[in-house]
Amino acid sequence: MIRTTAVPRQLRVGAAAASVLGIAVLAGCAGTTTSTDDAGSGTSSTDQAVDTTDTGSSSGSATYTDGTYSADGSYATPESVETISVTVTLADDIITAVEVTGNPTKSESEQYQSQFIGGIQDAVVGQDIDEISVSRVAGSSLTSGGFNEAIDAIKAEAAA
Amino acid sequence: MAVVADARWTFSAIGTAWQIQTATPLPPGVRRSVTELIDAFDRDWSRFRADSLVTALAAGGAAVTSPPDTAAMLDAYVELSAVTAGAVNPLVGDALARRGYDADYGFVDHGPGPSPQDWTTQLDWSGGRLAMSTPAMIDVGALGKGRLVDRVLAEIAPWVDGRIVVDASGDLAVRGGPERVGLEHPYDPRRAIGVWEVTDAALCASATNRRAWGDGLHHVLDARTGQPVRTIAATWALAADAMTADAVATALFFDGGPELAHRWDVQWVRMTTDGRVEWSPNCKAELFS
Repeated sequence: MIRTTAVPRQLRVGAAAASVLGIAVLAGCAGTTTSTDDAGSGTSSTDQAVDTTDTGSSSGSATYTDGTYSADGSYATPESVETISVTVTLADDIITAVEVTGNPTKSESEQYQSQFIGGIQDAVVGQDIDEISVSRVAGSSLTSGGFNEAIDAIKAEAAA
Repeated sequence: MAVVADARWTFSAIGTAWQIQTATPLPPGVRRSVTELIDAFDRDWSRFRADSLVTALAAGGAAVTSPPDTAAMLDAYVELSAVTAGAVNPLVGDALARRGYDADYGFVDHGPGPSPQDWTTQLDWSGGRLAMSTPAMIDVGALGKGRLVDRVLAEIAPWVDGRIVVDASGDLAVRGGPERVGLEHPYDPRRAIGVWEVTDAALCASATNRRAWGDGLHHVLDARTGQPVRTIAATWALAADAMTADAVATALFFDGGPELAHRWDVQWVRMTTDGRVEWSPNCKAELFS
Protein backbone atom coordinates (compact mmCIF):
# COMPACT_ATOMS: atom_id res chain seq x y z
CA MET A 1 0.00 0.00 0.00
CA ILE A 2 1.31 3.43 -0.90
CA ARG A 3 0.37 6.45 1.05
CA THR A 4 1.09 9.84 -0.38
CA THR A 5 0.33 12.99 1.48
CA ALA A 6 0.43 16.04 -0.68
CA VAL A 7 2.05 19.13 0.73
CA PRO A 8 -0.73 21.30 2.15
CA ARG A 9 -0.89 24.45 0.13
CA GLN A 10 -3.14 27.45 0.13
CA LEU A 11 -5.35 26.77 -2.84
CA ARG A 12 -8.68 28.15 -3.81
CA VAL A 13 -11.44 25.60 -4.00
CA GLY A 14 -13.12 25.24 -7.37
CA ALA A 15 -11.12 24.66 -10.46
CA ALA A 16 -8.11 24.39 -8.19
CA ALA A 17 -9.70 21.57 -6.23
CA ALA A 18 -10.48 19.76 -9.45
CA SER A 19 -6.94 20.08 -10.64
CA VAL A 20 -5.52 18.91 -7.33
CA LEU A 21 -7.80 15.92 -7.43
CA GLY A 22 -6.68 15.29 -10.96
CA ILE A 23 -3.04 15.42 -9.95
CA ALA A 24 -3.69 13.24 -6.94
CA VAL A 25 -5.46 10.62 -9.04
CA LEU A 26 -2.68 10.65 -11.57
CA ALA A 27 -0.11 10.27 -8.82
CA GLY A 28 -2.01 7.24 -7.57
CA CYS A 29 -2.08 5.71 -11.03
CA ALA A 30 1.58 6.37 -11.57
CA GLY A 31 2.40 4.67 -8.33
CA THR A 32 0.49 1.61 -9.33
CA THR A 33 1.54 1.30 -12.91
CA THR A 34 5.28 1.80 -12.88
CA SER A 35 5.85 -1.93 -12.62
CA THR A 36 3.84 -2.91 -15.65
CA ASP A 37 4.10 -2.25 -19.34
CA ASP A 38 0.50 -2.59 -20.34
CA ALA A 39 -1.46 -1.01 -17.53
CA GLY A 40 -1.81 2.07 -19.68
CA SER A 41 -4.27 0.19 -21.83
CA GLY A 42 -6.63 -0.21 -18.89
CA THR A 43 -9.73 1.84 -18.58
CA SER A 44 -10.05 4.44 -15.90
CA SER A 45 -12.97 5.74 -13.96
CA THR A 46 -13.22 7.90 -10.90
CA ASP A 47 -16.25 8.55 -8.77
CA GLN A 48 -15.69 11.91 -7.23
CA ALA A 49 -17.68 12.53 -4.11
CA VAL A 50 -16.18 15.98 -3.79
CA ASP A 51 -18.08 18.63 -5.70
CA THR A 52 -15.49 20.25 -7.89
CA THR A 53 -17.71 22.65 -9.78
CA ASP A 54 -15.89 25.83 -10.66
CA THR A 55 -17.49 28.59 -8.64
CA GLY A 56 -15.46 31.34 -10.20
CA SER A 57 -13.23 33.68 -8.28
CA SER A 58 -15.21 33.78 -5.07
CA SER A 59 -13.25 35.59 -2.43
CA GLY A 60 -15.78 36.26 0.29
CA SER A 61 -17.86 33.80 2.28
CA ALA A 62 -17.17 30.08 2.29
CA THR A 63 -18.88 28.20 -0.55
CA TYR A 64 -18.09 24.74 0.78
CA THR A 65 -18.69 23.23 4.16
CA ASP A 66 -15.51 22.64 6.06
CA GLY A 67 -14.59 19.04 6.53
CA THR A 68 -12.91 16.01 5.08
CA TYR A 69 -14.15 14.51 1.83
CA SER A 70 -13.24 11.15 0.38
CA ALA A 71 -13.65 9.68 -3.05
CA ASP A 72 -12.82 6.23 -4.32
CA GLY A 73 -11.69 5.54 -7.83
CA SER A 74 -10.88 2.39 -9.66
CA TYR A 75 -9.45 1.38 -12.96
CA ALA A 76 -9.08 -2.00 -14.54
CA THR A 77 -5.84 -3.41 -15.83
CA PRO A 78 -6.00 -6.67 -17.75
CA GLU A 79 -5.32 -8.76 -14.62
CA SER A 80 -6.56 -6.64 -11.78
CA VAL A 81 -8.78 -3.86 -10.66
CA GLU A 82 -6.69 -1.19 -9.01
CA THR A 83 -8.36 1.02 -6.46
CA ILE A 84 -7.29 4.26 -4.86
CA SER A 85 -9.01 6.64 -2.55
CA VAL A 86 -8.46 10.36 -2.30
CA THR A 87 -9.19 12.35 0.83
CA VAL A 88 -9.36 16.12 0.72
CA THR A 89 -9.67 18.35 3.78
CA LEU A 90 -11.34 21.72 3.30
CA ALA A 91 -11.26 24.72 5.61
CA ASP A 92 -12.67 28.07 4.51
CA ASP A 93 -12.70 26.96 0.88
CA ILE A 94 -9.04 26.11 1.09
CA ILE A 95 -7.61 22.64 0.69
CA THR A 96 -5.42 22.00 3.69
CA ALA A 97 -4.61 18.36 3.01
CA VAL A 98 -4.79 15.80 0.22
CA GLU A 99 -4.15 12.15 0.88
CA VAL A 100 -4.02 9.41 -1.71
CA THR A 101 -4.30 5.84 -0.56
CA GLY A 102 -3.67 3.21 -3.16
CA ASN A 103 -3.90 -0.55 -3.28
CA PRO A 104 -1.54 -1.29 -6.11
CA THR A 105 -1.60 -5.04 -6.57
CA LYS A 106 0.95 -4.77 -9.36
CA SER A 107 3.49 -3.23 -7.04
CA GLU A 108 2.68 -5.81 -4.41
CA SER A 109 3.35 -8.58 -6.87
CA GLU A 110 6.79 -7.08 -7.42
CA GLN A 111 7.42 -7.20 -3.70
CA TYR A 112 6.26 -10.82 -3.60
CA GLN A 113 8.60 -11.76 -6.39
CA SER A 114 11.54 -12.68 -4.24
CA GLN A 115 9.36 -14.62 -1.82
CA PHE A 116 6.95 -16.42 -4.13
CA ILE A 117 8.65 -16.50 -7.52
CA GLY A 118 11.79 -18.58 -7.93
CA GLY A 119 12.99 -17.30 -11.28
CA ILE A 120 12.14 -15.78 -14.62
CA GLN A 121 13.53 -16.58 -18.03
CA ASP A 122 12.98 -14.56 -21.18
CA ALA A 123 11.83 -15.81 -24.56
CA VAL A 124 11.47 -19.54 -24.02
CA VAL A 125 11.17 -21.30 -27.38
CA GLY A 126 11.00 -24.87 -26.12
CA GLN A 127 11.91 -28.13 -27.81
CA ASP A 128 10.26 -30.39 -30.31
CA ILE A 129 8.03 -32.82 -28.43
CA ASP A 130 9.17 -35.68 -30.66
CA GLU A 131 12.77 -35.11 -29.55
CA ILE A 132 12.19 -35.23 -25.82
CA SER A 133 11.32 -38.42 -24.06
CA VAL A 134 7.90 -37.91 -22.58
CA SER A 135 4.93 -40.23 -22.30
CA ARG A 136 2.31 -37.51 -22.33
CA VAL A 137 1.85 -33.78 -22.63
CA ALA A 138 0.09 -31.30 -20.36
CA GLY A 139 -1.40 -28.15 -21.79
CA SER A 140 -4.84 -26.71 -22.23
CA SER A 141 -7.63 -29.30 -22.25
CA LEU A 142 -8.48 -30.79 -25.59
CA THR A 143 -11.94 -29.74 -26.65
CA SER A 144 -14.49 -32.26 -27.83
CA GLY A 145 -18.09 -32.68 -28.86
CA GLY A 146 -20.24 -29.57 -28.99
CA PHE A 147 -17.37 -27.09 -28.66
CA ASN A 148 -15.57 -28.40 -31.73
CA GLU A 149 -18.75 -28.75 -33.77
CA ALA A 150 -19.74 -25.16 -32.99
CA ILE A 151 -16.29 -23.78 -33.86
CA ASP A 152 -16.28 -25.81 -37.08
CA ALA A 153 -19.72 -24.47 -37.98
CA ILE A 154 -18.59 -20.88 -37.40
CA LYS A 155 -15.48 -21.43 -39.52
CA ALA A 156 -17.57 -22.96 -42.31
CA GLU A 157 -19.95 -20.01 -42.17
CA ALA A 158 -17.06 -17.57 -42.29
CA ALA A 159 -15.54 -19.36 -45.27
CA ALA A 160 -18.80 -19.52 -47.23
CA MET B 1 13.57 -56.54 -17.76
CA ALA B 2 10.28 -57.56 -19.21
CA VAL B 3 8.02 -54.66 -20.01
CA VAL B 4 4.32 -55.37 -19.91
CA ALA B 5 2.25 -52.74 -21.63
CA ASP B 6 -0.17 -50.92 -19.37
CA ALA B 7 -3.87 -51.05 -20.08
CA ARG B 8 -5.22 -47.84 -21.59
CA TRP B 9 -8.83 -46.79 -21.49
CA THR B 10 -9.71 -43.73 -23.49
CA PHE B 11 -13.06 -42.00 -23.63
CA SER B 12 -14.64 -38.59 -23.95
CA ALA B 13 -16.44 -36.98 -21.01
CA ILE B 14 -17.23 -33.52 -19.60
CA GLY B 15 -16.26 -31.98 -22.91
CA THR B 16 -12.74 -33.34 -23.13
CA ALA B 17 -10.61 -36.42 -23.79
CA TRP B 18 -9.74 -38.81 -20.97
CA GLN B 19 -7.16 -41.55 -20.74
CA ILE B 20 -6.83 -43.89 -17.80
CA GLN B 21 -3.66 -45.94 -17.86
CA THR B 22 -3.31 -48.80 -15.41
CA ALA B 23 -0.67 -51.49 -14.78
CA THR B 24 -3.44 -54.08 -14.82
CA PRO B 25 -6.71 -53.88 -16.76
CA LEU B 26 -9.66 -52.45 -14.88
CA PRO B 27 -12.47 -54.93 -14.20
CA PRO B 28 -15.61 -54.05 -16.20
CA GLY B 29 -17.49 -53.27 -13.00
CA VAL B 30 -14.91 -50.65 -12.04
CA ARG B 31 -15.13 -49.04 -15.47
CA ARG B 32 -18.86 -48.88 -15.01
CA SER B 33 -18.58 -47.23 -11.62
CA VAL B 34 -16.07 -44.69 -13.02
CA THR B 35 -18.47 -43.88 -15.85
CA GLU B 36 -21.30 -43.45 -13.37
CA LEU B 37 -19.19 -41.29 -11.09
CA ILE B 38 -18.24 -38.93 -13.93
CA ASP B 39 -21.83 -38.75 -15.14
CA ALA B 40 -23.10 -37.94 -11.64
CA PHE B 41 -20.52 -35.17 -11.29
CA ASP B 42 -21.55 -33.81 -14.68
CA ARG B 43 -25.24 -33.89 -13.75
CA ASP B 44 -24.47 -31.90 -10.61
CA TRP B 45 -22.02 -29.32 -11.94
CA SER B 46 -22.23 -28.99 -15.71
CA ARG B 47 -23.59 -25.64 -16.86
CA PHE B 48 -23.77 -27.16 -20.37
CA ARG B 49 -26.52 -29.62 -19.38
CA ALA B 50 -30.19 -28.65 -19.28
CA ASP B 51 -30.81 -31.34 -16.66
CA SER B 52 -27.99 -30.41 -14.29
CA LEU B 53 -28.34 -29.18 -10.76
CA VAL B 54 -26.47 -25.91 -11.43
CA THR B 55 -28.75 -25.22 -14.40
CA ALA B 56 -31.78 -25.70 -12.13
CA LEU B 57 -30.31 -23.37 -9.50
CA ALA B 58 -29.54 -20.73 -12.13
CA ALA B 59 -33.17 -20.92 -13.26
CA GLY B 60 -34.27 -20.05 -9.74
CA GLY B 61 -34.59 -23.55 -8.40
CA ALA B 62 -35.07 -24.17 -4.70
CA ALA B 63 -32.30 -25.21 -2.34
CA VAL B 64 -31.04 -28.72 -2.90
CA THR B 65 -29.16 -31.29 -0.90
CA SER B 66 -25.48 -30.51 -1.49
CA PRO B 67 -23.79 -32.78 -4.00
CA PRO B 68 -20.82 -34.73 -2.55
CA ASP B 69 -18.16 -32.29 -3.79
CA THR B 70 -19.83 -29.07 -2.71
CA ALA B 71 -17.94 -28.23 0.47
CA ALA B 72 -14.55 -29.39 -0.83
CA MET B 73 -14.83 -27.23 -3.93
CA LEU B 74 -16.59 -24.15 -2.58
CA ASP B 75 -14.40 -23.97 0.53
CA ALA B 76 -11.37 -23.95 -1.78
CA TYR B 77 -13.06 -21.25 -3.88
CA VAL B 78 -13.30 -19.02 -0.81
CA GLU B 79 -9.52 -19.01 -0.52
CA LEU B 80 -9.02 -18.85 -4.26
CA SER B 81 -11.32 -15.87 -4.58
CA ALA B 82 -9.78 -14.03 -1.61
CA VAL B 83 -6.18 -14.45 -2.73
CA THR B 84 -6.97 -13.25 -6.27
CA ALA B 85 -9.01 -10.30 -4.93
CA GLY B 86 -12.17 -11.63 -6.58
CA ALA B 87 -10.73 -12.52 -9.99
CA VAL B 88 -11.68 -16.18 -9.44
CA ASN B 89 -15.36 -16.62 -8.61
CA PRO B 90 -17.67 -19.67 -8.87
CA LEU B 91 -20.52 -17.48 -10.16
CA VAL B 92 -18.61 -16.61 -13.33
CA GLY B 93 -20.91 -18.86 -15.38
CA ASP B 94 -23.21 -16.08 -16.56
CA ALA B 95 -20.25 -13.87 -17.55
CA LEU B 96 -18.75 -16.74 -19.58
CA ALA B 97 -22.10 -17.30 -21.29
CA ARG B 98 -22.40 -13.57 -22.08
CA ARG B 99 -18.99 -13.67 -23.77
CA GLY B 100 -20.31 -16.50 -25.95
CA TYR B 101 -19.22 -19.62 -24.05
CA ASP B 102 -22.79 -20.71 -23.36
CA ALA B 103 -24.55 -24.05 -23.10
CA ASP B 104 -25.34 -23.97 -26.84
CA TYR B 105 -21.78 -22.96 -27.76
CA GLY B 106 -23.20 -19.86 -29.41
CA PHE B 107 -19.84 -18.05 -29.36
CA VAL B 108 -21.53 -14.70 -29.83
CA ASP B 109 -20.02 -12.03 -27.59
CA HIS B 110 -22.52 -9.90 -25.67
CA GLY B 111 -19.83 -7.97 -23.86
CA PRO B 112 -18.02 -8.07 -20.54
CA GLY B 113 -19.66 -7.88 -17.17
CA PRO B 114 -18.56 -8.48 -13.59
CA SER B 115 -19.68 -11.52 -11.65
CA PRO B 116 -21.31 -11.05 -8.22
CA GLN B 117 -18.43 -10.10 -5.92
CA ASP B 118 -20.50 -11.01 -2.85
CA TRP B 119 -20.81 -14.60 -4.01
CA THR B 120 -20.01 -16.00 -0.55
CA THR B 121 -23.24 -14.46 0.77
CA GLN B 122 -25.25 -15.11 -2.39
CA LEU B 123 -24.35 -18.79 -2.25
CA ASP B 124 -25.04 -20.83 0.86
CA TRP B 125 -23.61 -24.32 1.22
CA SER B 126 -23.85 -24.72 4.98
CA GLY B 127 -25.71 -27.54 6.68
CA GLY B 128 -25.59 -29.93 3.76
CA ARG B 129 -27.79 -27.69 1.59
CA LEU B 130 -26.87 -25.70 -1.50
CA ALA B 131 -28.94 -22.58 -1.99
CA MET B 132 -28.72 -19.27 -3.80
CA SER B 133 -30.33 -16.00 -2.72
CA THR B 134 -30.25 -14.60 -6.27
CA PRO B 135 -30.19 -17.08 -9.15
CA ALA B 136 -26.84 -17.24 -10.93
CA MET B 137 -24.92 -19.81 -12.92
CA ILE B 138 -22.27 -21.70 -11.00
CA ASP B 139 -19.13 -22.58 -12.94
CA VAL B 140 -16.58 -24.68 -11.06
CA GLY B 141 -14.12 -24.59 -13.96
CA ALA B 142 -11.30 -23.25 -11.77
CA LEU B 143 -10.92 -26.58 -9.99
CA GLY B 144 -13.80 -28.92 -10.87
CA LYS B 145 -11.94 -31.13 -13.32
CA GLY B 146 -9.12 -31.58 -10.82
CA ARG B 147 -11.65 -32.64 -8.22
CA LEU B 148 -13.13 -35.18 -10.63
CA VAL B 149 -9.68 -36.59 -11.42
CA ASP B 150 -9.13 -37.11 -7.68
CA ARG B 151 -12.49 -38.87 -7.36
CA VAL B 152 -11.77 -41.15 -10.33
CA LEU B 153 -8.31 -42.03 -9.01
CA ALA B 154 -9.76 -42.88 -5.60
CA GLU B 155 -12.39 -45.07 -7.28
CA ILE B 156 -9.89 -47.19 -9.22
CA ALA B 157 -6.90 -47.21 -6.84
CA PRO B 158 -8.10 -50.21 -4.78
CA TRP B 159 -8.37 -52.30 -7.97
CA VAL B 160 -4.92 -51.73 -9.42
CA ASP B 161 -1.65 -53.11 -8.20
CA GLY B 162 0.96 -50.84 -9.72
CA ARG B 163 1.01 -47.65 -11.61
CA ILE B 164 -2.07 -45.55 -12.43
CA VAL B 165 -2.32 -42.42 -14.56
CA VAL B 166 -5.65 -40.60 -14.73
CA ASP B 167 -5.28 -38.03 -17.50
CA ALA B 168 -8.29 -35.80 -18.15
CA SER B 169 -6.42 -33.77 -20.77
CA GLY B 170 -4.55 -31.03 -18.99
CA ASP B 171 -5.22 -32.36 -15.52
CA LEU B 172 -3.60 -35.62 -14.51
CA ALA B 173 -2.82 -37.64 -11.41
CA VAL B 174 -0.18 -40.36 -11.09
CA ARG B 175 0.11 -43.16 -8.52
CA GLY B 176 2.71 -45.88 -8.10
CA GLY B 177 5.47 -44.71 -10.39
CA PRO B 178 6.96 -41.83 -12.30
CA GLU B 179 5.47 -40.30 -15.43
CA ARG B 180 7.42 -37.86 -17.60
CA VAL B 181 5.10 -35.13 -18.82
CA GLY B 182 5.93 -32.54 -21.45
CA LEU B 183 4.77 -28.98 -20.83
CA GLU B 184 3.04 -28.00 -24.04
CA HIS B 185 4.01 -24.66 -25.54
CA PRO B 186 0.79 -22.61 -25.59
CA TYR B 187 1.60 -21.17 -29.02
CA ASP B 188 2.97 -24.32 -30.65
CA PRO B 189 1.52 -27.68 -29.61
CA ARG B 190 4.44 -29.48 -31.31
CA ARG B 191 6.84 -28.03 -28.80
CA ALA B 192 7.33 -28.34 -25.05
CA ILE B 193 8.83 -25.69 -22.81
CA GLY B 194 9.95 -28.30 -20.32
CA VAL B 195 9.45 -31.70 -18.77
CA TRP B 196 8.02 -32.52 -15.37
CA GLU B 197 8.45 -35.92 -13.79
CA VAL B 198 5.34 -36.66 -11.77
CA THR B 199 5.35 -39.33 -9.08
CA ASP B 200 2.46 -39.88 -6.68
CA ALA B 201 1.18 -36.39 -7.37
CA ALA B 202 -1.05 -34.41 -9.71
CA LEU B 203 -0.03 -32.03 -12.47
CA CYS B 204 -2.65 -29.63 -13.77
CA ALA B 205 -2.23 -27.32 -16.73
CA SER B 206 -4.30 -24.48 -18.01
CA ALA B 207 -3.85 -22.40 -21.12
CA THR B 208 -5.87 -19.97 -23.16
CA ASN B 209 -5.18 -21.43 -26.61
CA ARG B 210 -7.88 -24.08 -27.09
CA ARG B 211 -11.08 -22.94 -25.38
CA ALA B 212 -10.91 -19.76 -27.43
CA TRP B 213 -13.28 -18.11 -29.87
CA GLY B 214 -14.07 -14.75 -31.37
CA ASP B 215 -11.86 -11.74 -31.04
CA GLY B 216 -9.28 -12.68 -28.42
CA LEU B 217 -11.87 -14.38 -26.25
CA HIS B 218 -11.06 -17.48 -24.22
CA HIS B 219 -12.31 -19.31 -21.16
CA VAL B 220 -10.20 -17.65 -18.45
CA LEU B 221 -12.13 -14.53 -17.50
CA ASP B 222 -11.36 -12.07 -14.74
CA ALA B 223 -14.61 -12.29 -12.76
CA ARG B 224 -14.26 -8.65 -11.65
CA THR B 225 -14.48 -7.33 -15.19
CA GLY B 226 -15.59 -10.19 -17.45
CA GLN B 227 -12.50 -9.64 -19.57
CA PRO B 228 -10.24 -12.50 -20.67
CA VAL B 229 -6.79 -12.48 -19.07
CA ARG B 230 -4.04 -11.05 -21.26
CA THR B 231 -0.75 -11.39 -19.40
CA ILE B 232 -0.51 -15.12 -18.75
CA ALA B 233 -0.77 -17.66 -21.58
CA ALA B 234 -0.30 -20.96 -19.75
CA THR B 235 0.16 -22.33 -16.25
CA TRP B 236 1.19 -25.64 -14.70
CA ALA B 237 0.93 -26.63 -11.04
CA LEU B 238 2.09 -29.75 -9.22
CA ALA B 239 0.41 -30.73 -5.94
CA ALA B 240 -0.42 -33.81 -3.91
CA ASP B 241 -3.96 -33.83 -5.30
CA ALA B 242 -5.46 -32.65 -8.58
CA MET B 243 -8.06 -30.27 -7.16
CA THR B 244 -5.34 -28.28 -5.41
CA ALA B 245 -3.16 -28.30 -8.52
CA ASP B 246 -6.10 -27.28 -10.73
CA ALA B 247 -7.05 -24.42 -8.40
CA VAL B 248 -3.49 -23.07 -8.32
CA ALA B 249 -3.15 -23.44 -12.10
CA THR B 250 -6.19 -21.14 -12.39
CA ALA B 251 -5.00 -18.70 -9.71
CA LEU B 252 -1.67 -18.32 -11.51
CA PHE B 253 -3.40 -16.32 -14.25
CA PHE B 254 -3.87 -13.56 -11.68
CA ASP B 255 -2.04 -11.62 -9.01
CA GLY B 256 -2.13 -13.67 -5.84
CA GLY B 257 -1.59 -17.02 -7.57
CA PRO B 258 2.06 -17.35 -6.54
CA GLU B 259 1.10 -16.49 -2.96
CA LEU B 260 -1.59 -19.18 -2.90
CA ALA B 261 0.89 -21.71 -4.30
CA HIS B 262 3.31 -20.82 -1.52
CA ARG B 263 0.57 -21.22 1.10
CA TRP B 264 -0.57 -24.58 -0.26
CA ASP B 265 2.97 -25.86 -0.93
CA VAL B 266 2.43 -26.19 -4.67
CA GLN B 267 5.18 -26.05 -7.31
CA TRP B 268 4.39 -24.20 -10.51
CA VAL B 269 5.52 -22.86 -13.87
CA ARG B 270 3.78 -20.22 -15.95
CA MET B 271 4.34 -18.57 -19.30
CA THR B 272 3.46 -14.99 -20.07
CA THR B 273 2.00 -13.89 -23.39
CA ASP B 274 5.32 -12.23 -24.29
CA GLY B 275 7.13 -15.55 -24.00
CA ARG B 276 8.71 -15.30 -20.56
CA VAL B 277 8.60 -18.26 -18.21
CA GLU B 278 8.38 -17.93 -14.44
CA TRP B 279 8.58 -20.67 -11.84
CA SER B 280 8.15 -21.21 -8.13
CA PRO B 281 11.11 -21.16 -5.71
CA ASN B 282 10.81 -24.93 -5.10
CA CYS B 283 10.13 -25.94 -8.70
CA LYS B 284 11.60 -29.31 -9.80
CA ALA B 285 10.47 -29.11 -13.42
CA GLU B 286 13.14 -29.27 -16.09
CA LEU B 287 12.72 -26.17 -18.24
CA PHE B 288 14.24 -25.63 -21.68
CA SER B 289 15.87 -22.35 -22.49
